[in-house]
Amino acid sequence: MNGPHDLGGQHGLGPIGREVGEPVFHAEWERRAFALTLAMGARGDWNLDMSRHARENRHPVDYLSSSYYELWLKGLEALMIEEGLVTEEEIAAACRGEKPPAHDMGGAVTPEKLIASLEKGDSTRLPDQVPARFQVGQRVRTRNLNPQGHTRLPRYARGRDGIVERNHGVFVFPDSNARREGTKPQHLYSVSFNARELWGEDHASRDHVMIDLFEDYLLPGEAAHG
Amino acid sequence: MIAVENSEQVHNMVVCTLCSCYPWPVLGLPPVWYKSAPYRARAVLDPRRVLAEFGVYLPPEIEIKVWDSTAEVRYLVVPRRPEGSEGMEEEALAKLVTRDSMIGVGLALTPQEVERGA
Repeated sequence: MNGPHDLGGQHGLGPIGREVGEPVFHAEWERRAFALTLAMGARGDWNLDMSRHARENRHPVDYLSSSYYELWLKGLEALMIEEGLVTEEEIAAACRGEKPPAHDMGGAVTPEKLIASLEKGDSTRLPDQVPARFQVGQRVRTRNLNPQGHTRLPRYARGRDGIVERNHGVFVFPDSNARREGTKPQHLYSVSFNARELWGEDHASRDHVMIDLFEDYLLPGEAAHG
Repeated sequence: MIAVENSEQVHNMVVCTLCSCYPWPVLGLPPVWYKSAPYRARAVLDPRRVLAEFGVYLPPEIEIKVWDSTAEVRYLVVPRRPEGSEGMEEEALAKLVTRDSMIGVGLALTPQEVERGA
C-alpha cells in the first residue's frame, strides 16, 4: 500500500532526534506492548507480514503521530479483533477500567517457549528449489506497482533501473503472505541503485542505495545505468 | 545476517525505510532515532547530511552505500580499523567498535578516544 510507513525520501520531518541514555522502554506499558505482541505472534494466529501490515495500515495522521509502541499496540488490537480473539467493545470496556470477561483462547505461549523461539530467530528463508530469473551483475528494472495491500517495494524505488548485486536465496513473498495467499517462494536479491537514478542529477553519482527486492518486483533491465 | 565492510573507498550504512528492521540478535533493540520517521526518510535521500548530523564527515571521493533492509536479511557494518590500532588484541579492538559504527552512522573509536572516555 502507498501508506504513511513508506518514508524513504520524504521531506519536512526534521532533524534526527537522539536521546541521552537511550532507554529501551520509556514506560512500563511499552515493555508490555512489546512482550504482548511477540507472545501473541508466537501463537501463530497470523504471520509476520500480516503483523507488519496491521501496523502500517493506518490513516497517515494517526501513523505519524503515534509512537513506535503505540503502533505496535494498535496493530496487535487490529489483528486480535480481525481474528475474533477480542472485540472492540471489550477493549473499550477495559480502557474504562472494567474487568474484561475471562476468555480461554487456548494455545498460551509460556515465557520459556517465547525466549527459546526468539533466541533461535525467525527466518523466512525457504528450502524450495526455485530457478533464479536474474543473475548477479544483471541490469534490472523495478516494476511500477501500487498494490492496495502489503508490499516491500518502496515507492522511491518503483520503475527504476538497477543492478543485481547479490542473490540471497529463496524466501517467503511478503505481498502474498500478508494476504494469506501463500508463501509464493521466490528469489530475493540485493539490487544496487545509483543515487542519481533514484533522486536526480544533483545527487552524488558515486553513492548507491542497495535494496532487498523480491523477484516479482523485477523485470529484465535495458537502459544503461551505473 | 550479512556483514558489509567499510574500506578506503566505501562507507556502508543501514536503514529500514518501511519499518524498523534491525539485527536484534547482535545489536539488541534499535534506538528510537533508528525507528523514527526522520532517519527512515532521510538516510536514503541524503545520507551525507544524515552522517554529518552524527558528526561523521566523509570526503566526496568515498562512495556511500545505504542498505535499505526491506526484507528479512539483516545488515551489520564492519567499520574501518582506525589508525593507531595496529598490533592491538581482539579484546582491545572490540572496545573501539560502537553500536553506531555497526549501523554505519559512526566510525570506530580511535584508541585515544577510548582512553579519554575511560
